Amino acid sequence: MAPSTLFRSEEMSLIQLYIPAEVAQPCVAELGELGKVQFRDLNPEVNAFQRAFVSEIRRLDEMERLCRFFNTQIEKAEIPSRSLTTAAYGSRARSAQEIDDLEEKLKEHEGRIVQMNGSYETLQRRNLQLTELRHVLRETGGFFEQAESRQDTIRNSMDEGDASTPLLEHDVEQQNHDEMGRLNLGYVTGVISRARMQTFERVLWRSLRGNLYMNSAEIDEPITDPDSDEVVDKNVFAIFAHGREIINKIKKISQSLGATLYTVDDSPDKRRDAYLEVTSRIEDLNNVLSNTSQTRRAELQKIAENLSSWTTVVRKEKAIYHTMNLFNYDVNRKCLIAEGWCATNDISIIQHALKNATEASGTNLPSILTELTTKKKPPTYHRTNKFTEGFQAVIDAYGIARYREVNPGLFTIISFPYLFAIMFGDIGHGFLMFLFALYLVLYEKKLAKVDNDIFSMFFSGRYMVLLMGLFSMYVGFVYNDMFSLSLDFFKSGFDWPIEYNSTDTVEATSNGHVYAFGFDPSWHGSENFLLFSNSYKMKQAIIIGVIHMLFGICLQVYNHVNFKNKMFIWLEFLPQILFMSSIFGYLVFCILYKWSVDWWALDDNGNHIHNAPPNLLNMLIYMFLSPGNINPEEQLYPGQGPVQMMLLFIALICVPWMWFAKPYYLKKQHSKHHYETVAADDEVAYDEEQNGRAGGSNEAEEDDEGEEEFEFSEVMIHQTIHTIEFCLNCISNTASYLRLWALSLAHAQLSSVLWDMTFKIWFGFSGVVGVVGLVIGFAMWFSLTIFILLGMEGLSAFLHTLRLHWVEFDGKFYMADGVKFEPFAFKTVLEAKSE
Amino acid sequence: MSGYNLIWVFIAVVIASAAGYVLTPKGDNQTVIRTIIIMTLACCYMSWAITYLAQLHPLIVPKKTGMRPHLE
Repeated sequence: MAPSTLFRSEEMSLIQLYIPAEVAQPCVAELGELGKVQFRDLNPEVNAFQRAFVSEIRRLDEMERLCRFFNTQIEKAEIPSRSLTTAAYGSRARSAQEIDDLEEKLKEHEGRIVQMNGSYETLQRRNLQLTELRHVLRETGGFFEQAESRQDTIRNSMDEGDASTPLLEHDVEQQNHDEMGRLNLGYVTGVISRARMQTFERVLWRSLRGNLYMNSAEIDEPITDPDSDEVVDKNVFAIFAHGREIINKIKKISQSLGATLYTVDDSPDKRRDAYLEVTSRIEDLNNVLSNTSQTRRAELQKIAENLSSWTTVVRKEKAIYHTMNLFNYDVNRKCLIAEGWCATNDISIIQHALKNATEASGTNLPSILTELTTKKKPPTYHRTNKFTEGFQAVIDAYGIARYREVNPGLFTIISFPYLFAIMFGDIGHGFLMFLFALYLVLYEKKLAKVDNDIFSMFFSGRYMVLLMGLFSMYVGFVYNDMFSLSLDFFKSGFDWPIEYNSTDTVEATSNGHVYAFGFDPSWHGSENFLLFSNSYKMKQAIIIGVIHMLFGICLQVYNHVNFKNKMFIWLEFLPQILFMSSIFGYLVFCILYKWSVDWWALDDNGNHIHNAPPNLLNMLIYMFLSPGNINPEEQLYPGQGPVQMMLLFIALICVPWMWFAKPYYLKKQHSKHHYETVAADDEVAYDEEQNGRAGGSNEAEEDDEGEEEFEFSEVMIHQTIHTIEFCLNCISNTASYLRLWALSLAHAQLSSVLWDMTFKIWFGFSGVVGVVGLVIGFAMWFSLTIFILLGMEGLSAFLHTLRLHWVEFDGKFYMADGVKFEPFAFKTVLEAKSE
Repeated sequence: MSGYNLIWVFIAVVIASAAGYVLTPKGDNQTVIRTIIIMTLACCYMSWAITYLAQLHPLIVPKKTGMRPHLE
């Protein structure tokens, strides 16, 4: 049993569980809580509807629907529900009896709620109708009086047959007649929305040819239309006309235009009585309505307390049954056979959990766990904690590691913040970043519940940002850059002259000291600062890059040893390392050597010992263009010519070494293996004939074991591509590391420009202008620092660091063709569903 | 201040790394902690050493214009 480290993925075993049917549900529930087993589907050819536990799942689906219904009701009634996270992981899975009880309870609640909703709606509708009726009663009183005063006019106009007299309401002629002779007038009263009023009048006028008398009044308060649930303004209307046909026509027209008709008595006493009765009925109805809504609210509140735990229970049960559908149900022996992957180190924990489940259920039937040997490829499982999981996630985003290969995530923990810091190095900015990450880390329990997508991205990388901030501070000290200013702690290596005018160009002199830690502050503000720092940062980028890549190539060794390919160390690793070292390792050596030599040193006579310092780039180019020829005026060290020839020669033989050695070796291996299996095959065939092919079904399952096909041409092509890729990548990847220089330069320049342009300009002012200017300048400087330098530059440096890791580093050794281990865990089920 | 400082600090870093390697308590996180300690020491030393080495024998010296005259 291999120890569990982050260096490689865990050792996995294929386990088989025999679970008796009675304890199946508690056992699976316990395994779900544990979350350490990934089950395989043992019924791949079975349709989803034909599986063993479809009826239970259907039942649970119904219960889940009820829970969702309650959820919407609660949200509509705006009752605060208890959040899901607190209750979620606490509730354990229930026994079958409890599920039945829960189902009954849910159905009961649903019945009550639906009933209450229905009656509430009916009552509400009734309420509206009565309100409208009340308004009608109130307004029509006036209409009737007006109508009676108009009888003469109507009679007159009907006698005359003059249809031109307008009988519409608002401009009413004040002709008060005392006679109350009643005409046989029919009337229609009702309510219509204000918007439709005009159309209504016009239609009526046209269709009845003016044989009507219509009166209307506005209702002051807007009324909720019961059908459409909108709030509209309505008018009361009363239409007086003569004749049954006309009345019917009016009724039809008003109904087609969406008016509601109410019958009103024509005697004022009866109308008053009706008015009082309606008012009292409305009051009663309001009481009943408020009672109903109270009860409904109380019911919903009671449900809300438990809803989150019920939902959790239902989802867990559903997950359990879905998992049990993957098992093989042996009807004869009444037990379920499950197969799954789990980490070898976890087997004892799983056995313990199974035992707990069996004991809790009270039966005596034990579940049996056996390990199977298999040639199948196991999934990859990296055991991470909250600190390492951020870094592992970054690597996994590129590709999941092959089973048991070296995990670059372990080294990413430090190399990622370090490379980020090289590009971001600034004490002040690093400190701000560190503070931000510190806040996220110290309050991680509370902040874990925030739902925002972008925030949770930053939150999941909080430890990475913390380390990035720390390393940025350190590299900031090395670059001696704090918000584009330099610190002055140690004795400088340069002395400035004392006598000069302010227009002169002043040159410092080197005094033999070296500034103890980092960049000399004398460089700050000099004109040729960039000349020095660019050279320094470029060379640093190359050195770091070559070391990073050599480290990546060296990790191959572990992979070869682990996968039992020791020969590959000689066939693949050695030529790669030699090729890389002889060209770019030599370049790094030259850089370091050139720095360590005092090129201006004088001997006793005052003559220069060395020649002028040579240009390294030219030196490298001429190493290839004219190998062996070194101009003594431009040599880096004596004996350079032959040394470079030898290195070139080594690099040259590495190319065919990389190209042909491995395929040739594999071919030899294959032909040796082939002869052996041919002999073995004969024996196997003989045995099978004898035994009648018993146990042949096992072969069908082991579908991805067996003879690996060996095509020499394919291997050769693959190796050619690999070789060309490696050799070209040597150059391009090394150059790619120059982005460490480029981003660092951009950051420093941005920072310096921001300081000069927004803040420094205010230092020259004094008095009120100075004060106000400083305040404004600081606000601008600080906000731009946060948004541009920390936000934009931070994200940019992060992205480039990511690319360097994914392509330049991982490309040297990482296979990344594995499958991720996804255990059956309630935590993932609940988290997935809650989105 | 000489180039030999580089060597002394290098030896100190090696000793510190070895101490870190040996003294890390056994447990789940031993590999992670060891890796962190050794890699941090290596990276920090590398940064400092490169900067120190680059300034050991400067090929050019800083030049400034427009400085305020010295007040003695």
